[in-house]
Amino acid sequence: MDVVVGITGINAIDNPGPGIGIAKSLKEDPELSVQIVGLAYDAMEPGIYMDWIVDSAFLLPYPSGDYRAYLERLRYIRAQTGLNFLFPVLDAELPLYIKYQKALEAEGIRTFLPSLEQYKLRGKDRLEEVAQTIGITAPRSAVVTSYEELARAAEDIGFPLMVKGVFYKAYKAFSLPEAASYYSKIAAEWGYPIIVQQVVTGEEMNVVAAGDGNGNALGMVGIKKTWITELGKIWTGVTIKNDRLLAAAQAFIERYRWKGAFELECIVDLENDTVYLIEINPRFPAWSYFATGVGVNIAANIVRSALGLPVTVADYEPGKLYIRFTDDFVVDMDVFQKMMLRGERR
Amino acid sequence: MDSLRQLAINEEGFVFNPATGESWTVNSTGLYILKLLKEGKDEDTIARQMAAEFDVDLETAQRDVVDFVEKLRSYRLL
Amino acid sequence: MKKPYEKPVITKVETGLMNKFGNAPYYARKVRTAIDGVSIDALVQQFGSPLFVLSERQLRENYRKLYRAFAARYPNVQFGWSYKTNYLQAVCAVLHQEGAFAEVVSLMEYEKARRLGIPGEKIIFNGPYKPVEILEQAAAEGALINIDHFDEIADLEAVAKKLGKQIRVGIRVNMDTGIYPQWSRFGFNLETGQVMDAVKRIQAGGHLVLTGLHCHIGTFIMEPDAYAQETAKLVQLKYSIEEHFGYQIEFLDIGGGLPSRNRLKGTYLPPEILLPSVEEYAEKITQALYDHLKPGDFPTLVLENGRAIVDEAGYLITTVVASKRLPDGRKAYIADAGVNLLFTAFWYKFTVEMDRDLPGVNESCVIYGPLCMNIDVLDEGTSLPPLERGTRLIFSPVGAYNQTQWMQFIEYRPSVVMVMEDGTVEVIREQEDLSDIERRERLPEKLQLNSIAAE
Repeated sequence: MDVVVGITGINAIDNPGPGIGIAKSLKEDPELSVQIVGLAYDAMEPGIYMDWIVDSAFLLPYPSGDYRAYLERLRYIRAQTGLNFLFPVLDAELPLYIKYQKALEAEGIRTFLPSLEQYKLRGKDRLEEVAQTIGITAPRSAVVTSYEELARAAEDIGFPLMVKGVFYKAYKAFSLPEAASYYSKIAAEWGYPIIVQQVVTGEEMNVVAAGDGNGNALGMVGIKKTWITELGKIWTGVTIKNDRLLAAAQAFIERYRWKGAFELECIVDLENDTVYLIEINPRFPAWSYFATGVGVNIAANIVRSALGLPVTVADYEPGKLYIRFTDDFVVDMDVFQKMMLRGERR
Repeated sequence: MDSLRQLAINEEGFVFNPATGESWTVNSTGLYILKLLKEGKDEDTIARQMAAEFDVDLETAQRDVVDFVEKLRSYRLL
Repeated sequence: MKKPYEKPVITKVETGLMNKFGNAPYYARKVRTAIDGVSIDALVQQFGSPLFVLSERQLRENYRKLYRAFAARYPNVQFGWSYKTNYLQAVCAVLHQEGAFAEVVSLMEYEKARRLGIPGEKIIFNGPYKPVEILEQAAAEGALINIDHFDEIADLEAVAKKLGKQIRVGIRVNMDTGIYPQWSRFGFNLETGQVMDAVKRIQAGGHLVLTGLHCHIGTFIMEPDAYAQETAKLVQLKYSIEEHFGYQIEFLDIGGGLPSRNRLKGTYLPPEILLPSVEEYAEKITQALYDHLKPGDFPTLVLENGRAIVDEAGYLITTVVASKRLPDGRKAYIADAGVNLLFTAFWYKFTVEMDRDLPGVNESCVIYGPLCMNIDVLDEGTSLPPLERGTRLIFSPVGAYNQTQWMQFIEYRPSVVMVMEDGTVEVIREQEDLSDIERRERLPEKLQLNSIAAE
């Protein structure tokens, strides 16, 4: 079956987007014959130049602009490439794709995304509710909109604490002045409200998984990051099988009938046998190829599920290692010039 | 003017400065002016030539050339 | 044959800006040659620039769309037109024709509604300051007065005694609906029990009869669930008051705050993506009513709409009077309208359309107003093709709050016209001249300057 899959987030840089991992996963499915269309927001995204993975590449208008222009550009790309499936993976573009998923499908571009109601579950102000529903806990937190409330919440929770935006940014603060400075920093950039959260200690563990929208899992892998970069990004990791963690992900898929990929970030306090839910990402993480590498090809299962092809949900072994490494290559300037002047590489 | 002379100008409108690594995109009339500047023509001559060749009155052409040159100056290309 | 001309543009390739489709792409450039079929050119020829243009058709359509969304789901709906959003007589008249009551918040607005011919019983009177003389008039004329604080209870009781009758009133409630920041400065707080204290106080006085509950949770509310919470809490409050005090609560006024398709500064995504549809709000609100109302009980649901109806019906036509190159290389345009006319430019990033299709690639630019003040910026960063002098720029949506919050500062305010449904154009507010500015002034005799000149 020929599938032309558009993938965003092909910015494989020091804080990588999830795109290249998804592209590699799809290419590894022996039965799918996949053409990868890289969708970029900047002519310098490395994926544009990685022609052994990304078959063609196009620039997209920013999702912050006029959505009609955005859809028109996708229409153009579909006309040029036959694009018939799209993986949006960046936080900033998800609202657009979720809102217009039906319109896109009517034009022949399928996606596999949660509904708007499901998408709202990721708000940090919903964390405690979701954690409770799926059988784990969440750090104590407070929603604040003023310095007075911040001070009150800090007194309540104690230092150190995390200061977070509802959707973006998180900082650890050790004192009230520090918390206040992060508070104003986040508010200036992302607006209100701000979440103040208890710092919990334990092992950081994550799950990447996907649901089919009917309560069934399309694959699930638990991991622990063993080495992270200065930006907090995984460099090495190991697969794990923590029952409570995987049960929580399963419950998340079943209870909310989640559709599409997601990641649960958790901290597991082994001493007190408590799993804290820290964050829900309504999309693939940047390291999603890890799952493919241990035999659980979630991205391929999503495409298969969307196209009505058989899906196999494989199991995996704990103790497999993930190694990220740097590499480099050299190209002529002509692809860059084409991207700058025409916005595409074919 | 030195930096102008070194520029590698591609016919599609991509401009690269081999000495600094900077690059620019330029539209067709911008490219036209850039080439004439490179040949050493002055602003007034360029404006007149442009008004003769393009569908634009001399006054507008003069204003636009001055504005374009100011922009080049802000990029330290002049 | 001469070659077609476009203004020369050169753009540096810079980190983070390497995307020709990024912002305001070439093919999404917006051109508007007419408003409701009347050409921009003809409008400016006849009425000058700058010019505010309101569309009667759009006003009525927006009203009807919103009203239908609620009336199709609930049998007893009444809209109040929020005067403070735009109290030009023609605008109010259109909405009163559509069936809206007047929702006023000051003495001046009350007098405006009355002069327009709106009877007292079709005026909803809100606000934290209602001078006693206007309270007395409103009470005598049967207006729906929503009480804001305890002192107003006392004022109204004095009025009732003077008029020798009981006055039917509503009280304003504030509550937590999950919206940040919570508007707690108006009305009586629900969670602390202040509302019940107010009802107790009203009953003890015996001069007022409580018939309604009012709440307004905030402005530009993008979360329909907040209204559902508000509605649910108001219904619960209604029953609790009816049970404990024996009053009959006949109307639930859930206020306004519905957003328009305008873009708040600081939001990353455009309104089409961020904002829920009108139906989603109506669905949540009426569902909350059905979930909590007793069977067969249908109190009047009142909404006080403003922005959601009028904002998108308003346009401002301006003319580019000059351009310059800023030291940082950006292009700057000076328009003949500024923040004196577009007060909402302080919090919105408007849609900017051009009256003609101009050739050339977009370059980043700033649009300044005509005021000799640094804050006079209509758009601090947009991307437009090189504009010719005399190009008209059309800003929208600007129908809400500008004609009530604009300021008279060094310029005359321009004409406001309405494009009528039949295609004609009516002046609904004439351009000002010096007499408007000086009519209320008095120059003392000894300061008359002509006597000096005569010496």
